[in-house]
Amino acid sequence: MLDGLAGKLEQYLDLLSVRQRLVASNIANADTPGYKTQDIDFQTEFQNAAAGLAPHVIEASGLTVRNDGNNVSIDRESRLLAENGLRFNIASNLMRDQIRTLKVAINGGSGS
Amino acid sequence: MSLFSLLSVSASGMSAQRARAELLVENLANAETTRTPEGGPYRRKDAVFTTQPAESPFSSIFESQLARPDGVGVADVVVDNRDPERRYLPGHPDADKDGYVAFPRINPAEDMVDLMGATRSYGANVAAISSVKDMIQRSIDLLR
Amino acid sequence: MPLPISPITVPARIEAISPAIQMPGENRTAGEFRGVLEGAINSVEKTGAQAQQAVSNFLSGSGEELHTAILATQRADLAFELGLQVRNKVVAAYQEVMRLQM
Repeated sequence: MLDGLAGKLEQYLDLLSVRQRLVASNIANADTPGYKTQDIDFQTEFQNAAAGLAPHVIEASGLTVRNDGNNVSIDRESRLLAENGLRFNIASNLMRDQIRTLKVAINGGSGS
Repeated sequence: MSLFSLLSVSASGMSAQRARAELLVENLANAETTRTPEGGPYRRKDAVFTTQPAESPFSSIFESQLARPDGVGVADVVVDNRDPERRYLPGHPDADKDGYVAFPRINPAEDMVDLMGATRSYGANVAAISSVKDMIQRSIDLLR
Repeated sequence: MPLPISPITVPARIEAISPAIQMPGENRTAGEFRGVLEGAINSVEKTGAQAQQAVSNFLSGSGEELHTAILATQRADLAFELGLQVRNKVVAAYQEVMRLQM
């Protein structure tokens, strides 16, 4: 039940949750000395998810480090916050659609 | 549990930024205070943040260390113990025998900018909480 | 009447079940009926157990995501409904066959 596309959508939702949690940690630690921005390599992890591997947290690259050793960019994190939220929205709507379609498929036959 | 523990993370961020803002406001209010109960001028205070795991009342003790997300906390309040700024004001009631008055080493412009930063960070934490509430609601909507 | 199944998610089990549902009047051996019914029941049991486990994990705070637990319950729901439909069709088909043989 709910394999194929729905399975992929579920993995997508899982990864978005993990990523959003890292964004929240980054935002909370935006002023912590020495803290480095955390992230996951979304594309790679999405492929890994099919193999059942847990996502691997990495340090985000390309960010400038300030005097206190912190490299969190509130702009970047705010953007990701909004983006992840939207993607989650889209994926969960698609998922709901999948479930509904399947329900109709199952029950539609009984109308005969 | 990622989404729910996110609430603890952002809440810790809000607490930390608020504590920082309170200290900055205290600094600004006392930028010219030459006399304190401890003796001497006001000394600037600063909050030192540290990463600490965000505890959630919903998470079980079995949750692995890897799963516990990074929140933030105020590890310490650092008092600026450098020599105070001395200004020559012979008529001042707190002047010493040479006519110098000890003033706090505070740059109001700097602390004002820091305060704006703290406010912005606080807002970002609030936005994170708002976002996760939405995601949780959408997860629940999958039941409809 | 054929089931209007979405082409994107067609698990093998539905393919196997649909012929039985399509032609209730056709003469099939008792073994095939049972096989189809057993398949549906197994699916219901399995997804039901998985759903219980997922929800339990979520509630105990051991790291299960909310949407994972919810989707597990949806899977169990769908398996149950399908199982119900299969049972109804199988029973109807059996009765039809019995009537024909009188």
